[in-house]
Amino acid sequence: MHALIIDDSRTMRSILRRIVTELGFETTEAGNGQEALDHLESGLTPDICLIDWNMPLMDGYTFVTRVRADERWRNVTLMMVTTESEHGQIVRALAAGAHEYVIKPFTPDAIIEKMELLGLVAQEVPA
Amino acid sequence: MTVTMEPSLGDVHAVVEEVWSSFLGAEEPILPLPTPMPPGGWSAAITVSGGWDAQVTVQLTDPGAVHVTSTMLMCGEDDCTDEDLRDALGELVNMVGGNIKSLMAGAAVLSLPLVGHGDISPGSHLVEVCRLDLTWRGEPVVVTVHTPPPPAVA
Amino acid sequence: MISPTSFAYVADLLRRETAMLCEPGKEYLVEARLLPLARAAGTPDVDSYVARLSTDLAERARAVDALTINETSWFRDLAPYQAFTDAMLPPLLESRKHVKHLEIWSAACSSGQEAYSLTMLLKEHLPPGWTARIHATDVSTTMLERVKAGRYSQVEMNRGMPAQRLVTWFTRVGNEWEVSPELRSMVTTQHLNLAAPFPPMPVFDIVFLRNVLIYFDMDTKRDILRRVSTRISPDGFLLLGSSETTLDLDDAWTREAAGRVWMHRPRTAARPTLATRPPAAPAAATTVAPPAFTALSQTGA
Repeated sequence: MHALIIDDSRTMRSILRRIVTELGFETTEAGNGQEALDHLESGLTPDICLIDWNMPLMDGYTFVTRVRADERWRNVTLMMVTTESEHGQIVRALAAGAHEYVIKPFTPDAIIEKMELLGLVAQEVPA
Repeated sequence: MTVTMEPSLGDVHAVVEEVWSSFLGAEEPILPLPTPMPPGGWSAAITVSGGWDAQVTVQLTDPGAVHVTSTMLMCGEDDCTDEDLRDALGELVNMVGGNIKSLMAGAAVLSLPLVGHGDISPGSHLVEVCRLDLTWRGEPVVVTVHTPPPPAVA
Repeated sequence: MISPTSFAYVADLLRRETAMLCEPGKEYLVEARLLPLARAAGTPDVDSYVARLSTDLAERARAVDALTINETSWFRDLAPYQAFTDAMLPPLLESRKHVKHLEIWSAACSSGQEAYSLTMLLKEHLPPGWTARIHATDVSTTMLERVKAGRYSQVEMNRGMPAQRLVTWFTRVGNEWEVSPELRSMVTTQHLNLAAPFPPMPVFDIVFLRNVLIYFDMDTKRDILRRVSTRISPDGFLLLGSSETTLDLDDAWTREAAGRVWMHRPRTAARPTLATRPPAAPAAATTVAPPAFTALSQTGA
């Protein structure tokens, strides 16, 4: 499994990388939507993109609309991870094609549970 | 018509506590105690514009900024570079500012963060409408919100 | 870290007030839960805070609340909710079609995520004309107030709430999210200590008693399960936490698998199958439309 982590903050990318690496994902990082799109264009096929909203060059919302408009990437799961937290913003992101939404700040459990909801990680088997 | 131009102190406090408890360790909570802020230190600011205009600033001492950075990046305090501090404090004020933006009515846009060593003085046209004096790991943390002054009453 | 004397006092306090066990090894948890309260109360450390609990009743109540909260998420563990919609609702929709009403108990409801998760599933799965009520109980009155208010922090909303359901059922109020009045109207609250005799309650079709038995000793667990069995319909379902079981505790229950979870059911000599169940509800139940405690004796036994 592969996760593409898209955030202009290196700190946030490292926090997310630690969480999804623990879940067994390999990771690629991008500092904005354009860089992430370049990764996809050059053949990267992540299972999930974790996407910040506010970034220079290309924001996360635009990235989502661009990915959803292209058949090649229809199997990629898109999850916003952003400080944008108005009801209307979440509605917009979902309408544009995001599958899930995590509001910053979050705890590692929040990311893990959303990945479970999306069927990307198996739930812990109870002892 | 009454338009609220400032977020409530309680809501801003809740936002700051959520950011701290999520990323900076629950066992050392950020406390609502004022500690004097010496001059110097680090400031991280972000602006909100649109339906509501404001500047949100987080100020930390040098040791406070290093505590924040090493905790978020999970690196040793001695290993934190200035570049690390700028990035970590930028993300910190992004989270605080973004959540404060969502407290206010009307669509607004968040800028990219600005981080600097020393005071980032808000534009002289802005007035302080909200100030939180907090303490974390013995170091002061100050969060302020500045907005344009209300139109003069005739 | 908390001293052995303070820890023993806290463990004893919890046991007396809630019957919950707080065993050695949980010192770090007690310290983490009480430190913010100690700071807020202006005491220098947890030990001096605990010393104050013997005389300060209000502070004692706050401490018990802080110690009994469970971190909880929406649709926690997913599988029980899958079992709810796939395995429990279909037979109940058939057997209750004359009353068109379901009574569900969310026991030890904490801040209400389980109760409201269930209301969302009911809204999505109940046929038109049906009603349901979630009876949410907890030992903490602070938690019950939270359930009634139906407000959750951003951090709490992040925990397992699907984004689509968030935008459908919640609105922003200040820094929090508030559950819709429509869902809140389906939930009632009641103060209840599981370890003490139950107050008057309806008979339930489904009981969620998850991740709370682990806090009680063996005798108390047995006693709770025995009393729960008197509040559950003969064809009802009991769901426990994934590490909990009725096995070796009480032979009044049988278990059926539903996906990854066990559904516990009262062991009755002759549970009517769907095919042989009497077509009409008991006479008393024909006028049952508005749910009320007294009118809901659905056992018909």
